[in-house]
Amino acid sequence: MNAILITIPLALLLLALAVGAFFWAVDHDQFDDLQTPGLLPLDEAEQDADREDPPP
Amino acid sequence: MKAPCWHCGEPLLATVVHARVGGELRAVCCHGCRAAAEWIEQLGLADYYSLRTEPATKPDLATAADRNSCLAWQRDELARHVVRDLGEGRRETMLFVEGIRCTACVWLIERALQSLPGVASVQVNALARRARITWIDNRVSLSQILERLARTGYRAWPLHARALDDLRRREARDALKRLVVAGFGAMQAMMFAAVLYLRGADAADTSAEALFRWLGFIVATPVVLYSAGPFFKAAARSLAARRLSMDVPVAAAIALIYVASFVEALRGGGHVYFDSVSMFVFFLLAGRYLEMRARHHAGDLVDALARLTPSFADRRREDHSLERIGIHELRVGDCVHVGEGGLVPADGALLSAACRVDEALVSGESAPVVRRHGEALIAGSVLVDGPIDLQVERVGADTVLAGIAALVERAQVERPQLARAGEQATGRFVVRVLSLTVLTAAVWSVVDPSRAFAAALAVLVVSCPCAFALAVPAAITRALTVLARCGVLVVKPDAIAALAQTSDVVFDKTGTLTMPRLTNVQAFNEASPEGALRLAAALARESRHPLARAIAAACYEAVLPAAAQVRSEAGLGLSGMVEGRELKLGSSRFAAPGQHLAGHADAVVLADQAGVIAAFHVSEQLRPGMRDVIDALKAQGLQLHILSGDAPAKVADIARKLDISSWRARASPADKLSELGAMRAQGARVLVVGDGVNDAPVLAGAHVGVALACGAEIARASSDIVLAGERLGALVTARRVARETIAVIQQNQRWALLYNVVAMPLAALGFVPPWLAALGMSFSSLCVIGNALRIGRGPAGVEAQARQPLHATADAA
Repeated sequence: MNAILITIPLALLLLALAVGAFFWAVDHDQFDDLQTPGLLPLDEAEQDADREDPPP
Repeated sequence: MKAPCWHCGEPLLATVVHARVGGELRAVCCHGCRAAAEWIEQLGLADYYSLRTEPATKPDLATAADRNSCLAWQRDELARHVVRDLGEGRRETMLFVEGIRCTACVWLIERALQSLPGVASVQVNALARRARITWIDNRVSLSQILERLARTGYRAWPLHARALDDLRRREARDALKRLVVAGFGAMQAMMFAAVLYLRGADAADTSAEALFRWLGFIVATPVVLYSAGPFFKAAARSLAARRLSMDVPVAAAIALIYVASFVEALRGGGHVYFDSVSMFVFFLLAGRYLEMRARHHAGDLVDALARLTPSFADRRREDHSLERIGIHELRVGDCVHVGEGGLVPADGALLSAACRVDEALVSGESAPVVRRHGEALIAGSVLVDGPIDLQVERVGADTVLAGIAALVERAQVERPQLARAGEQATGRFVVRVLSLTVLTAAVWSVVDPSRAFAAALAVLVVSCPCAFALAVPAAITRALTVLARCGVLVVKPDAIAALAQTSDVVFDKTGTLTMPRLTNVQAFNEASPEGALRLAAALARESRHPLARAIAAACYEAVLPAAAQVRSEAGLGLSGMVEGRELKLGSSRFAAPGQHLAGHADAVVLADQAGVIAAFHVSEQLRPGMRDVIDALKAQGLQLHILSGDAPAKVADIARKLDISSWRARASPADKLSELGAMRAQGARVLVVGDGVNDAPVLAGAHVGVALACGAEIARASSDIVLAGERLGALVTARRVARETIAVIQQNQRWALLYNVVAMPLAALGFVPPWLAALGMSFSSLCVIGNALRIGRGPAGVEAQARQPLHATADAA
């Protein structure tokens, strides 16, 4: 019984943290587009030269 | 047939152009594609070609070269509407990007723009075809961004700055948060409730039980107060409007179970239903969330198209130079220049000698009409040959086009309310459940007052209408997915119910039932018809004139000779060099002056210096497969009508060919609307199919408005359903799926009813323990979802039909 008195508040705390983390993720565009970002890892050669101006 | 163009996948021309991509020479069809392919290579983005799953859009050389339309966005008056200032010189805009075919396009666009110095962030959404871009103002400009996109092969338009707020995005985020809170809450509440259920029989440890009851209360409270918030708000709104919507009983049930459980917990009684109320809210939100996702997907595409601003006009200054201005800056008396193929920006009088305009959008007249000096031009019509100058007489809200838009708004207000039948049934059912609950409480309070409260709650929990709540959204969501797969975009989910109940179908003629097609080729002087068509098509594909497009579309040669020095003569035809011959294509008095061609007065004539080569007869033809569509619709028991703005003889001809007895010609938009009103007065449920601006009011006023994706923007905006790929055959499928959906909804509701009728008396008599009630509730909800997934899996195989190739229907003339 005493164990419950520690574990249950802990569970509720973790629940609150999980909901908080999820809200943060939603507010930071993580769930707006679930299709497009799936493609990005396919890009093998991550170019550092991205920021350079290409020849005209 | 040779390999198609490396970039866009279209057939190659005889004079193959080569682009160097990834160290190899690749054959492409035109210089536009070469420029795009080499540009992509220069940006170091050639990986795009290995990532993509669809060929790219053919870049329009004319568009790419037209720097003006990009540069015009440098004007502050224009940019103000589409750009938001984030402070510290950072600007943000939302672009609608045409030509996004697959996710590799997203990759390409993000890379191409991010390599532009000064661009801070690029976010592309392939589904919605939108790109959100932020940049530093003094390092790069909006016009440079648009120009780079155009060079990469994508046309982009800035959307109004309002699009940045994106109501949909906020709605989706909100719904997701509420759903997840409800899901977490329901899980926790069930866990705590399980303890109570399982310990029930043991010698009661009352203090522990009280603890778990209050824990249930703690986790259910955010679910009821936060997640279920929209139900309470909607219920309050509809009560304020003195209507009884679905939300009222739902909100009442949630509030009642929650408050009752709270009171029970305070009293120390055994019957708390915090788990049930959380689960109820979770299931309801899940149904609504699914429905919202499907609606947003369809709406994103259509809406973006409808919201595109017809932004510019070329105004002539005092010194005859042109300046590009926003359309809202036009004033009466301005002199405006319109190029060939351009839209007339405002109503006005023609200053040039003569021109032909396509007024089909406004009048429904299929053939381009000739306008001479001083005659009136209508805003929104397309200039077939030009260029011309025009004196503006009416702008903005005074134009004919704006009048039609006003008519659309009026029709939308008068629109009949018939959908939401499923929700009404649910509402009625829940009202009955609530009254039964009250009745149970009343009867028990006479028999045994101590058990009255518990029994009433048990009834409420057992009948907790989760299955009902899911019955409609689950079926509708599935139907929307199936329909989207066969090219039917449903903008307003209500339309599915209305579509199933349709009794009459009204077609517009021009552009909907028919399109111009090449019917006959007459070759002269020992030329072969095929060879002549090949030459004519090479020339014709350089023009946007409807007759030229019909000729170009009739030629199925994979490799066409290239045309050089193509010039367009206003109202007469085209001339250019093809395979070393100087060809003319156009009316007989242009192509073969002085020659009399008996029986070919209306034909398009192809000639070179030696003489006439061939005559092409183009007439308005039924869309291929139209007859089958009409027969299939008739077989479904529908009454068919044609309402057209065109001349009686043409309409009668088409009506006879399609065996449609009810038709009316020369109908203005207002006529069409009154005709529709007459049909509605007789109790008909009317579906209208159209594509032009002149159809927009009827589309908006019909029970179901169906627009073609290629049609006018305002027509798409005022319709409920948009058919992609111009396949009217999808309409037959759509109606079948709609009927199937309604049938499934009814099955679902009957199932939920049956479950409740069996379970409720048992609960009222106290035979159902709470855990069994909760299990039964979940089981009935799963049944409803499983049943909904059957939609579109019928014997006819909707999915197989959906894969029909787009061009398979157009056979050669």
